[in-house]
Amino acid sequence: MNGLEVRKLSSKTILWIILAAVVVLYGFPFVYMLLTSFKAPIETIAVPPRLLPSEWTVANYVSALSRSGVTASFVNSIVTATLSTAISLTLGLPAAYAVTRFRTRLGRFFIVAALVTRMVPPIVVGVPMLSIFRNLGLSDTSIALAVAHTTISLPLSIWLMSSFFEAVPSELEEAAKIDGCSRLGALWRVVIPVTSGGVAVTAIFAFLASWNEFLFALLLTAVRAQTTPVVIANFQTQFGLDWGSMTALAVVYSVPVILLTLLLQRHIVAGLTLGAVKG
Amino acid sequence: MLRKKIAVAASVATAAALAMSGCGVGGSTSSATGKTITVLVEAGGHAELQPIADEFTKATGTKVSFVELPYDGLYNRLNSEFTSGSVSFDVAALDAVWLPAFKDAVAPLDSLFTDDVKKDLFPALVNEANVGGKYIGMPVWTNSEILYYRKDLFNDPANQTAFKAKYGYDLKPPTTWQQYLDAAAFFTKDGMFGTDVKGAVETEWLAMLSQTGEKTMVVSPDGSSVSLGNANSLKALQFDDSLAKYAPPGGAQVDWAAAQNLFNQGKTAMSLFWAHEYRSIPKDAPVNGKVGVAEMIAGPGGVAGVPGAWYLSVPKAGQQQQAANDFLKFAYDHNELSAQTTLGLVARKSALAKYENQAGYENYKPLIDTLNASATIPRPATPKWQQIVDKVLVPMIQKSLQPGADDQALLNAAKEQVQSLVK
Repeated sequence: MNGLEVRKLSSKTILWIILAAVVVLYGFPFVYMLLTSFKAPIETIAVPPRLLPSEWTVANYVSALSRSGVTASFVNSIVTATLSTAISLTLGLPAAYAVTRFRTRLGRFFIVAALVTRMVPPIVVGVPMLSIFRNLGLSDTSIALAVAHTTISLPLSIWLMSSFFEAVPSELEEAAKIDGCSRLGALWRVVIPVTSGGVAVTAIFAFLASWNEFLFALLLTAVRAQTTPVVIANFQTQFGLDWGSMTALAVVYSVPVILLTLLLQRHIVAGLTLGAVKG
Repeated sequence: MLRKKIAVAASVATAAALAMSGCGVGGSTSSATGKTITVLVEAGGHAELQPIADEFTKATGTKVSFVELPYDGLYNRLNSEFTSGSVSFDVAALDAVWLPAFKDAVAPLDSLFTDDVKKDLFPALVNEANVGGKYIGMPVWTNSEILYYRKDLFNDPANQTAFKAKYGYDLKPPTTWQQYLDAAAFFTKDGMFGTDVKGAVETEWLAMLSQTGEKTMVVSPDGSSVSLGNANSLKALQFDDSLAKYAPPGGAQVDWAAAQNLFNQGKTAMSLFWAHEYRSIPKDAPVNGKVGVAEMIAGPGGVAGVPGAWYLSVPKAGQQQQAANDFLKFAYDHNELSAQTTLGLVARKSALAKYENQAGYENYKPLIDTLNASATIPRPATPKWQQIVDKVLVPMIQKSLQPGADDQALLNAAKEQVQSLVK
């Protein structure tokens, strides 16, 4: 093994060590949560804490899932996140396309303005939204919550999709137009399929933004449309903290997004690298 | 092909979501039908009210729908809805300390507070319910810190002999500050601690402040007088600090949940804790069956606790005022139903008296005695209370637990902060 190969190997080793440290750093809280969900109630609060359960039990899952309102909140979370993602993409894709293709001064102002909305604390818009939805007869509905969540995910969607559209050469669209496509047809038949990885990434981010959102869910829902993050928080009460049930429900709640991410993993990787190299 | 499948799946999911979005699937909310009232409640309090709600439905036909929210979230939600001027609930369960902040948004309940009602409630609870000359909340359950101790350790003959030899009096559940200190020191050995110190919460220190005989709990309701910095407040803070050497390290960060865990795990021999905990000790806890309870300890001014009451209030903007008032009256009349819940929290003296001698309710007598103690006073009715707690009291207590802390200087600084908050 020559000097160059040795240097390469040691660089690789260092890289792997750093990578492993990062994975442990990110992964440990989830692993600990997973292990806690299988502990007996008294073991979840052991002092000092133990990593592995001395006796594995699914009692926490039974307790969490049999709690009134949990199943309904799960359905509400799915409905709200799906709807919010759909609204976000429906509005975000054309907006991002227009901004990148027409390059007007107003467009530049619009995209900066979209970013600025991300800097407004959600609680500031929460109270007015509460009144607006009540006046519209939409209080405690998933559609109202989805619209509220869209205020979070839409700016993100516009910015993400703008960067993906930037990477698509305009010649592709021109070719489609020569073949008889309208501008919208070219967007639908050529640009969006080419950026499908980016759309998947945007969809996942929009879905996650809604799936994990807590404040709007707390303010805008009551009985009918309450989502799971609020239900999970309810395990901590003024009288105590039910760690076992809380972690069990948090694990169950994580499963759909993990599956979704795995399902769309190929598109996500493609999307994240799209536009990274300019040809 | 895959792309098409994904597009179809996404379209179907969106269509389904859209179809379900108009309502949500969690059940129906209140006001539209007129036969359901919505009660906004902290998640832990739901179970206390459920038996009453069930009976109310049987008696009147009006259903009761609970909206459970976490403690901090409930405050935010109430604040938002009251600010917006229209509310989504008919009844709200309010922590005692929130009553002054929401006094203008909830309806007066003077007609419910008859002489008989006032007689059956602890004086501190009646005082707390009255904000600005009007009764605005009906007590639904009350609580107070009491003394928890390990019966097995206190009854151990070897411990009794050793304790008497060292301190010159019998080992028994402490009733005074000095006895509490002695017992805490005695049991701090072999990996066990005598007690805990809760730096992350203020109520324990407030109880100690009342135990000195202090009658102004930090600040008078009109803000004209602040007791921080006086001799009593210094005594209370010094006593709290003196427990630190018999408590697990890191006391500045210990809150209720941590203290509860330490005691239930058998790491502390004594704890001053809310009365409800007695019925919540896990069956598989090492201390289960070994716990004794007694009234709160006494300082130079006598026994004192801090009443931890919750009240039912009716928002002025509520659409079903009559049904809501009916529920409040029913909840008061049937208060004893809550005694049979997991926590067993009630508010009426008669409900506590009915169960105090029954097995499993050993915590009731210490609770009654503590709430009846002459030094027990409620927290001040100032709308700034939560800010005073978060920004002044808790940081002050945490700093006082640092080695070498100057308690008098901390109290003086805290006094200035409180004065600037309430002026």
